[in-house]
Amino acid sequence: MNKLNHRKLYSVLLGLVVISVIVLIALKGPLAPLNVQVVTLKLGDLEPAMFGVGTVEARRSYTIGPTRTGKLQQLLVDHGDNVVAGQLLGQMDPVDLMDRLQSAQLNVEKYEHLVESAQARLDEAKSRYTQAKHEAERYRDLVKKKQVSHEAAEAKTTDAVAAADQVRVAEADLEGVRHDLQRMQSDLKAVKAQVDDLRLVSPASGVVTSREVEPGSLVVSGTPILRIVDMETLWVRTRIEQRNSTHITTGLPADIFLRNQADKALEGQVARIELIADSLTEERWVDVAFNKIPEGVAIGMLANVTIKLPAVRQAQWLPAAAIQNFQRETGVWSVRDNKAHFVPVETGTRTLDGKVQILSGIDSNDIVVSYTAKPLNEGQSLNIENP
Amino acid sequence: MISLAYRDVSNSFGRYLLTGIGLGLLIGVTLTMAGVFRGMVDDGKALLRSADADIWVVQQNTLGPFAEPSSLPDNIYRGILAIEGIRQATNVAYLTLEVGRGSHSVRVMLEGIDTQQNPLHLIAGRPVMRSHYELVADERSGFKIGDRIPIHRHDYEVVGLTRGMRSPSGDPILFLPLKDAQEIQFLKDNDALFRDRVQLKENPQLNPPGNPALLDAVEQQLFSNHRVNTVLIQLLPGANPRRVADDIEKWLRLTAYPKDEMEDILIGQLIAMASKQIGLFLVILTIVSAAIVALTIYSMTQTKLKEIAVLKLIGTRNGLISRMILLEAIGLGLVGFLTGKLAVTYWAPLFPKHIVLLPDDTLRALLITMIICVLASIAGIRAALRIPPGSAIGG
Amino acid sequence: MTKTHISEDTMKPAIRVENLSKTYGSGSSAVQALKNASMSVQPGEVVGLLGPSGSGKTTLLQCLGAIIDPSGGRITLGGDVLFENGWQYSDRRALRRDRIGFIFQRPYLIPFMDATENIAILPMLQGQTNKQAYSRAAELLDILDITERGSARIEELSGGEQQRVAIARALANRPPIILADEPTAPLDSHRAMSVMQLLHEMAEKLKTAIIVVTHDENIIPVFKRLYRIRDGVLHEETGEGRAFDALL
Repeated sequence: MNKLNHRKLYSVLLGLVVISVIVLIALKGPLAPLNVQVVTLKLGDLEPAMFGVGTVEARRSYTIGPTRTGKLQQLLVDHGDNVVAGQLLGQMDPVDLMDRLQSAQLNVEKYEHLVESAQARLDEAKSRYTQAKHEAERYRDLVKKKQVSHEAAEAKTTDAVAAADQVRVAEADLEGVRHDLQRMQSDLKAVKAQVDDLRLVSPASGVVTSREVEPGSLVVSGTPILRIVDMETLWVRTRIEQRNSTHITTGLPADIFLRNQADKALEGQVARIELIADSLTEERWVDVAFNKIPEGVAIGMLANVTIKLPAVRQAQWLPAAAIQNFQRETGVWSVRDNKAHFVPVETGTRTLDGKVQILSGIDSNDIVVSYTAKPLNEGQSLNIENP
Repeated sequence: MISLAYRDVSNSFGRYLLTGIGLGLLIGVTLTMAGVFRGMVDDGKALLRSADADIWVVQQNTLGPFAEPSSLPDNIYRGILAIEGIRQATNVAYLTLEVGRGSHSVRVMLEGIDTQQNPLHLIAGRPVMRSHYELVADERSGFKIGDRIPIHRHDYEVVGLTRGMRSPSGDPILFLPLKDAQEIQFLKDNDALFRDRVQLKENPQLNPPGNPALLDAVEQQLFSNHRVNTVLIQLLPGANPRRVADDIEKWLRLTAYPKDEMEDILIGQLIAMASKQIGLFLVILTIVSAAIVALTIYSMTQTKLKEIAVLKLIGTRNGLISRMILLEAIGLGLVGFLTGKLAVTYWAPLFPKHIVLLPDDTLRALLITMIICVLASIAGIRAALRIPPGSAIGG
Repeated sequence: MTKTHISEDTMKPAIRVENLSKTYGSGSSAVQALKNASMSVQPGEVVGLLGPSGSGKTTLLQCLGAIIDPSGGRITLGGDVLFENGWQYSDRRALRRDRIGFIFQRPYLIPFMDATENIAILPMLQGQTNKQAYSRAAELLDILDITERGSARIEELSGGEQQRVAIARALANRPPIILADEPTAPLDSHRAMSVMQLLHEMAEKLKTAIIVVTHDENIIPVFKRLYRIRDGVLHEETGEGRAFDALL
């Protein structure tokens, strides 16, 4: 009957719909094999690099300040001025030092005079002694001729001795006064040195980067008044993770990206690797010098630095996303008969664009999982979908 | 024998189908709710799986790092490493915040990790290779590879994508280097920094004249962040997690949770309230579904009073009539179930929350639907059986 | 002429009713629908049952059809007692299915089955195979001259066609008894006459006992024997017994 066939048709159609719905649910549900993407081992040159963030600093920078507390009297330079070595930058207030200088000066003069007078007294004593000595000799002769008494001759001898003593006294006085004079001269030098000290002189050539105190202010000894930087020695003091930093050597080329020009790569190279590291942050400092000091850079500016390590030629590598851990081992998931199988590998160099050198563990015939949404288990069914 | 149920349904197919679809949508919502719950559990488990930690160490006497805030010094991991049985101790920092994406903002959880240990499972791109300013985002965040995300002071480039990485509250995770996360976590805005600096400068004890270096040292100490939220531990083979955890608690005055205790906290306590709410919702939905089936079947029976009377009159067994009503109810349930399951399969990925559809739940839902249909058909069957055959000859 | 006792016949009657009463309600509001009604119908006989509405003829029919239970008296169908003073035959449904065919004023067809299925369901209920049932249905559709409407849905059939399907259904199980309540009401006179002719043929061929409740003036002359009922009381009468050809 027609109706019967119609009914059969409907039933079959309904059955098909139900089955297809169930099949659809099964395919999209959790029983489906996991979708993964795969890669194979690649051969190529790897260019590893290390990345760090640094600040622009000067290799040579100087702080100018007083050695003793006092008032700043005068500053001759300002922020941004170029200075040369030996240039007078400013002056502290001498206060009483000038008076003390004068006093010392006068002291020296006074003692010079005293030396003169001591010298004169010595001369006088010497001439008296000469005279006394002559008299003593004449009387000794006269005694021999019995013209004078022994007493008179002894008296004259005693006078000669006394005159000799007087000479010695005068000599000693002169020495004493001379020493005093030297002392006063030293005092004068000392005061002069102190006065000189109040002059702020530039130790080197460079640029004034800060002027921190204005004339008239009280400055405690040790406080910086000016900071001078040798702009030719600007570099980027970069923090690099201690781990994996063994391959950094001086002379390696680097790209410097200053924060204010984030897209422009400035060429530089590693100038110094500092011997003291930061144990708290587990970083070390690498100083990267500019090949050419750029315009408009300021000390303290942040920069991103990429140090280019020596290239590894003809290395076997995989994308970094393929490297996974399983049961505490590092390796990759290889696909065998559409099932996942974990293979431990040994890795070598890593590049910043995500390539990892594979030293051992797999070969070019292996198919390796690169992308998977869920963690894999040994023996899990996989469905390879590659773009 | 003719299938009475089949013919009756074919006769009023449109209404039957529509009711079935309506029921199906309700069942779909029910399955979705169960899926949300399973999703929350799965998120917690995914988080634990990706951490791959045998022990979680947090601030003393906290349930952190998710249930409660927890703050540890970032160098305490060295002390932890000294404890017997420990192979590896890694710092992790967590922070939830909103980041801008185009004209919208997205709520994400930043997870600061050691980017060279514990590789993530990526679905695109590459892992973080630089020490700063790169991150791997979960695809749920909407970011694509190459996007630059400004967070506080810096721009972070998205270099890789994951799937299924969510915080316990369902926010997609962004993985970035620990130091960057620490900086973001505690770095203040520029105005606050400026004010703090001025205050320090004016404090003669911290900035004595003649010792300018002291101020620098103080600033460095104050304006940096050396805290993390948790330290993840991997044990040597053979080490006893509970014993190692006790050692850590005793000697380092911290709190340590072995993996299963952490799972309890994350999934148990965190989701306990959510499960109650969802459970209540499920009960309500079940009752409503049962009511709909019962009402539909009952009204279908009511519209057939005369016909049923005639059937009884011409000699149809009560059993046959009951079977018709029962089959109609079960058919309705099946239509609803298939519709609901199909709908959920297709709309689940579009849901903002993570939904996990387990075959167990599906079978349970099918069973409950069938039971509801059988029970709901009772009203209709009773009504049908009570019809006196004589009422056929009313007129 | 009133007959209050059962006549002695050589053949056992297909239907025998003795002193049947039916009271609805109780106490002061009690209504006696049937009062000591007695009748008998032989196999192969077609008797009429005439009476105004409310006279109790529907009640009598319902008692005969094992649809309701009388209050008192005895009903015998063929050799089996259906009801006797409180005792009733247990499987009345089976009885209705196997022994009694119903034709009502309205067709009372099942709308969600087509014409063929409405007829075929009866043999199926009796246990016959679908093939047998459908072939029986086809047979009856042919007899009633509506074969081409066999797969039509009930709502597509005209009133007359529906009634014919209903009649076919009543005949489907070849019941020994047919109770027809105003079967020709929806039909035109020509059709009405064919239906009565068919019933008479069935009665003669299959020895079916048929009671036809009617007040259709066109067909009353056909009955050879009829009963009148008024206020629950039954009287037997002799009918005209006109031949069909004369009426057509």
